[in-house]
Amino acid sequence: MSRSSLSLSRREWLTLSAAGVVGYSMSGWLEHLAAAAAKSPERKRACVLLWMSGGPSQMDTFDLKPGHANGGPYKEIATSAPGIKISEHLPKLATHTKDMVLVRSMNTKEADHGRATYFLRTGRVPGGPIQYPPLGSFVSKELERPDAELPGFVSIAPFRFLNSAAFSPGFLGPRYAPLIVGENGNGRPQAAGGDVAQALRVQDIDLPGDVNAKRSEARLQMLDEMEQEFLAQRSSVAAESHRTAYRRAVTMMRSSAVKAFNLEEEPAKLRDAYGRSLFGQGCLLARRLIERGVPFVEVTLDGWDTHQQNFEQVKRLSSTLDPAWATLMNDLKDRGLLDTTLIVWMGEFGRTPRLNGNTGRDHWANGWSTVLCGGGIKGGQVVGRTSADGTTIEDRKVEVADLLGTVCLALGLDPRKQNQTDIGRPIRLVEPTAKPITEVVA
Amino acid sequence: MVPFRLLLMIGGVLLVGSGVAHAATPEKDSEALAARIDRHLTAAWEVNKVQPAPPASDAEFLRRVYLDLAGRIPAVAEVRAFLDDTRSDKRRRLVEHLLEGPRYVTHFTNVWRALLLPESTNNVQTSFLAPGFESWLHGKLQQNAPYDAMVRELLTLPMDGPSRNAFGPANGTPTPIAFYLAKEVKPENVAAAVSRLFLGVKIECAQCHDHKFADWKREQFWSFAAFFAGLQRQGNGDFVNVGREVANRRELTIPGTEHKVQAVFLDGTQPNWKNNTNPRATLAEWMTRKDNPYFARAAVNRIWGYFFGSGIIDPVDEIAGGEHEASHPELLDELARQFAEHNFDLKYLIRAITASCAYQLSSLATHTSQDDPRLFARMPLRGLSAEQLFDSIAQATGYREEMNTNQRGFFGNTSARSRFITRFANASDRPTEVQTSILQALSMMNGQITAASTDLEHSETLTALLDAPFMDTAERVQTISLAVLSRKPTPRELSSLVGYVEKGGSAGDTSADKDKNYHRALADVFWVLLNSGEFFLNH
Repeated sequence: MSRSSLSLSRREWLTLSAAGVVGYSMSGWLEHLAAAAAKSPERKRACVLLWMSGGPSQMDTFDLKPGHANGGPYKEIATSAPGIKISEHLPKLATHTKDMVLVRSMNTKEADHGRATYFLRTGRVPGGPIQYPPLGSFVSKELERPDAELPGFVSIAPFRFLNSAAFSPGFLGPRYAPLIVGENGNGRPQAAGGDVAQALRVQDIDLPGDVNAKRSEARLQMLDEMEQEFLAQRSSVAAESHRTAYRRAVTMMRSSAVKAFNLEEEPAKLRDAYGRSLFGQGCLLARRLIERGVPFVEVTLDGWDTHQQNFEQVKRLSSTLDPAWATLMNDLKDRGLLDTTLIVWMGEFGRTPRLNGNTGRDHWANGWSTVLCGGGIKGGQVVGRTSADGTTIEDRKVEVADLLGTVCLALGLDPRKQNQTDIGRPIRLVEPTAKPITEVVA
Repeated sequence: MVPFRLLLMIGGVLLVGSGVAHAATPEKDSEALAARIDRHLTAAWEVNKVQPAPPASDAEFLRRVYLDLAGRIPAVAEVRAFLDDTRSDKRRRLVEHLLEGPRYVTHFTNVWRALLLPESTNNVQTSFLAPGFESWLHGKLQQNAPYDAMVRELLTLPMDGPSRNAFGPANGTPTPIAFYLAKEVKPENVAAAVSRLFLGVKIECAQCHDHKFADWKREQFWSFAAFFAGLQRQGNGDFVNVGREVANRRELTIPGTEHKVQAVFLDGTQPNWKNNTNPRATLAEWMTRKDNPYFARAAVNRIWGYFFGSGIIDPVDEIAGGEHEASHPELLDELARQFAEHNFDLKYLIRAITASCAYQLSSLATHTSQDDPRLFARMPLRGLSAEQLFDSIAQATGYREEMNTNQRGFFGNTSARSRFITRFANASDRPTEVQTSILQALSMMNGQITAASTDLEHSETLTALLDAPFMDTAERVQTISLAVLSRKPTPRELSSLVGYVEKGGSAGDTSADKDKNYHRALADVFWVLLNSGEFFLNH
């Protein structure tokens, strides 16, 4: 293997930047590619995780209890799936319900934000010396292409504040760390109101103002020369990884694929359809990344911790969620990508069926909802059932491992597959106790 | 049962060794231990026909020992002084100098905090309590408190003192209470951490079932956890506090069973409850005894792993249970015994290790027989902690923010340093297998700190270089190399870099912008060295 790949890719870069001159015509070319890829049996699957930070209220989204005192003021509406009803504030999603599986019986025990965030994202309860990787890390490790220009795991506007370990690659190492965009540098999403498209660009992807491409190239070439002597006689995992990260970063900087982050390329009408919120534009970015072969993208919608004024807040959140998610499904379908793209909707827990004194709902881990739809999923089904007052699970308790196991199967992965850890002991993707919901896997 | 076998083995060694008399001075004493380290390693090299790497050059040793003891690379003046020093004992003198300096305390506060309180970087509550924990550590290291005393204090921390209300006005006062809170004040969590950290026994796998790979049984785990049975929590959810301890409770029920277990030491011996002492104090007394089969061994193995990238038994927290063998069992016994005999003095141990020939080997691979890391025949490349990296960049470039405070942490802190540390945090506890992420590479290449550091208006080092009219290009390049890589450039590097700068870098030598291009080319040299693997790693 050549060690001087930084400068080897120079030719590549020249070719690419030449292509960049006609950059605007590339979107047509890309659509062709995407369409061809979608039909190809080789096309690997991809996953979009819509992460609802704070814990969304199942009672006011996908498992309403109208007529019961716990239910609240929302009405149910019929959907494209016969017999399945959801919240009136999710009207666009109602037209997609035939492609969705509503899991109404999540039974997860952890009701603390930090712990539950870690639990739902990694499939393991926190504590102990092993740092487990989240879904995005271990799925992208299985699904990413070795020659990819973009990282395999992109996390959009995460709220890492509650438990940053749940967003770290754990024992898989930084190679599988998420590429994070839309964060303010303090573990929280970018504040609302700013330039959303700008917030969703990759930090430090652009050369500093006084460094042009030629100067950058000269620097990298010099770096390459400098490194050779040192590395030639010091081969090691750490040095190789440093080298690889630079190679991948430079590849990304120079790639046409990094244009995925230029949301301005999209028609204004489509951008409007997603909604101009960070989450809406994040879903649009997710589509652009999936289209370019990124296997795992997660988009966070924060604010579901509705201890007060639950109904006002959930209505507002629904008005952000509904257009973004529904447009994502339309958009993927239009491009022939929905069949191979699994969409998972979940938070760290649900909310209490009973209202508290502030017309709010508190943390609830015993009977709440998650949703699976798109690729690998037989839609139009409900899994599990909660009681009329919402407080008990009456059918098919679904544990975290069951859900993540189902996600693996829908993505064509074996949940029992083992990874080596840095402590030398193999760890399965999902706990072997998992009982995946096989009846919903296509 | 292995722990028992182990006990016999160590017991034997202790009997044989207990008559050894102490040498005259602490320094002589640690030199004697260094010599014994080398004897053990050399014996294994002979058996395995190993040709060890050549000794590290002065520059290589200097950079390594600065990173290891002071947590940052040396300043240019420090490099020059050391390289010019002709005294034969200058390496030993340097170690003494660093051990007595303030950076030793700051750096090892980071090291021990990362070890004892890993939650502080990813948990809201713990990060909030980290300052109090850090000032406690800082105080202990400042006094060079014996390791056993430090651990005893942690283990016997009263649960009814002012520190109990950790979130109240007492927040920030020196106390290790965060250790308990990070473990949610649960007996099983505290026990698992105590066993792993201080006894090198990873017994928590036995929490739910008998250990699959090692010899630990579920009952053993819960009997050990029973020493912490009196711990009480207050509150639930994100902010847990400690409650008043139930005095003398030393019994636990194994969850999901009716089976009650009593507190029993890990090696199976029964505590003497005659005086009805506090179970935690009883445990602490047993653990920190000089003849405890695990305590000193776990400590020296961990310290060894810190300096060499892997332990004599590796992983460092699985020293008993039969799963992992020691590469040099007699060396480990000897280190443990001497450490205990020397009052668990961490500096004694550090002096001995850093004075050994093994620590002073080059990282240069010269023979394939050095490839087995367990023979310690060459210094492996090790990753830097985020703090080491940031403080080294600041040292090299004159970046200012570092000097403000030792602020750290994930939350409520948006300083450039704190953001940098968040981005460069590394979960791997294997320094030789540290990996780099794309965002880290982008940050080093294009990020604000590098940009400021290689920018003429902001970089102190660069400005100083350009303001020195007596320097020619070669001297300037050499100074950059000393500042970033802590060494002189090789002749080949020097001619290549000087050539680049004098031709005006990538812009070329156009007469109009000659000065500007020269300055920029010099900044490019800075950038290149800062982005090299040689800078990014400890070697």
